[in-house]
Amino acid sequence: MARLSVNAGLDAIVAFDDAGVRMPRRRRRKGDGRRQRLRRIAGEVKRDEVWRLRHATFSLAEGESLAVVGGKGSGREALLRLAAGTLMPDEGTVQRRVPVIPMIELAKALNRGYTVRQNIYIVGAYLAMTPDEVGEKVGWIASFAGVESILDKYLGTAPPVIRQRLAWSIAMAIDARAYAIEQVLIVGERDFRQKCWTHVDLKREDGVSFLLASDSQKQFRRFCDRAVLLDGGSVVTETSVGEAIARLREIRRSQQSGAPTDDSPEGSADGPV
Amino acid sequence: MLVLRDLQRQYTKFRLGYLWTLLEPLGMSLVLWFVFSVLLGARALGQQPYVLFLTLAILPWWWFTKGITASTRVFRRAGGQLRVSLLPTEVWVLRVILVTMVEFVFSLPVVVLAMVATQYWPGPLIVLYPVAILLQFLLMYGLALLVAAGSVVIPDLARIVRIVLRAMFYLSPIIYSISNIPEAVQPLAALNPLVGVFGLYRIGFWPDEHVAAGAFAVSIGLSLVILLVGVLVFRRLEPRILKEA
Repeated sequence: MARLSVNAGLDAIVAFDDAGVRMPRRRRRKGDGRRQRLRRIAGEVKRDEVWRLRHATFSLAEGESLAVVGGKGSGREALLRLAAGTLMPDEGTVQRRVPVIPMIELAKALNRGYTVRQNIYIVGAYLAMTPDEVGEKVGWIASFAGVESILDKYLGTAPPVIRQRLAWSIAMAIDARAYAIEQVLIVGERDFRQKCWTHVDLKREDGVSFLLASDSQKQFRRFCDRAVLLDGGSVVTETSVGEAIARLREIRRSQQSGAPTDDSPEGSADGPV
Repeated sequence: MLVLRDLQRQYTKFRLGYLWTLLEPLGMSLVLWFVFSVLLGARALGQQPYVLFLTLAILPWWWFTKGITASTRVFRRAGGQLRVSLLPTEVWVLRVILVTMVEFVFSLPVVVLAMVATQYWPGPLIVLYPVAILLQFLLMYGLALLVAAGSVVIPDLARIVRIVLRAMFYLSPIIYSISNIPEAVQPLAALNPLVGVFGLYRIGFWPDEHVAAGAFAVSIGLSLVILLVGVLVFRRLEPRILKEA
């Protein structure tokens, strides 16, 4: 429970204080799982966890849009999940004033075995909507996603584009005051994307806060007021969007000319700008 | 509220195979009845009519096995959904127990069928039947929390649980009555919390069946202890569960 609790007295919408999280390293396909497990029981191999994110200190103000800038494996997703509370920090604290809607691979939460309508209810429930609330919004969601014609058909083989649209529409239907959005959700046709961003703009005008992790610099520049730069998961800097993107480019360039970084937790520990 | 939402969500699953909820335990009861009553002719086993006696314990037993086995898998199956779920993590476990409970309740017509077939009717103590359901629910929820969190940390737990459940089937008074086992062992057997639970299910039908009052106390006490331990362990392991999602 505690991980999702909201602190109404908080100044910011989301506040990270020296937060860090260790994640299990992705399993490598060496030997089968059982042998690995036996080794672990025998004490040969320790279950290894790497710091995905460390010393994250920043806050998201009301009505603000914050860009989370960082390459793959930089702990972007961990940061978003921490913000929403679907991950708990191993050190430091993460507090929030309002529920944060996690839009992190939300389309994966859709279930093929249910109809589109049922999926709307289920995903809505995951996002803490009551059936009544969802009921009021089914129409809106269906028309926003353009799925009215298949509303009572099984999701089954619906193409990923439809799933993405549906997931996005459900999240957008919620009257939430804060969102944590992963870029993966931004695929889809041009028209729909346009519609989504217009909707995000509307919400922004309404004072809704956004945490946006994306590779697309255009989106960053267009939507975000400030940026948090992640470097190898270990350094978090708050800067302007332009600055962050420039630094990311720099980091990328240095990566290409040598040191692999994906799993090594030691990022270059430059001081904040 | 949360519970209602979950039940509503689950409803869709049942429509597909409601008939199976009836047929499965019915078949199981009939097989066991055939083996023990017709083939072996064990008159001394349990109470008469034996079919009813069996059915009364087998239905809750199914609920028990299904719920506990399913809870070893909840988090593996939830996978990515856990990443976006703003519901308390416990809800996933609760959901499994409630779904299997609803299935159990839906399968109760089998008991009625057995009553009609044998023309044997319960006495006033049948009012304890819902109490039995509640007690089993508490016991299962505690166990399920333990098992669900545990199998995230130790994947092999799922297999161990399966074996333990198989053993429990024979160690619990399902196909026999507690009075069928030697008196010296009875206090030991009463340490099994399911003894009290099944005793409560049957007490309305055979009020004079010899189930020690202690067995009920043990059931209630153990259920609460397990629930407490389950909640604590689950809290402890919650970060791990979320990470593996």
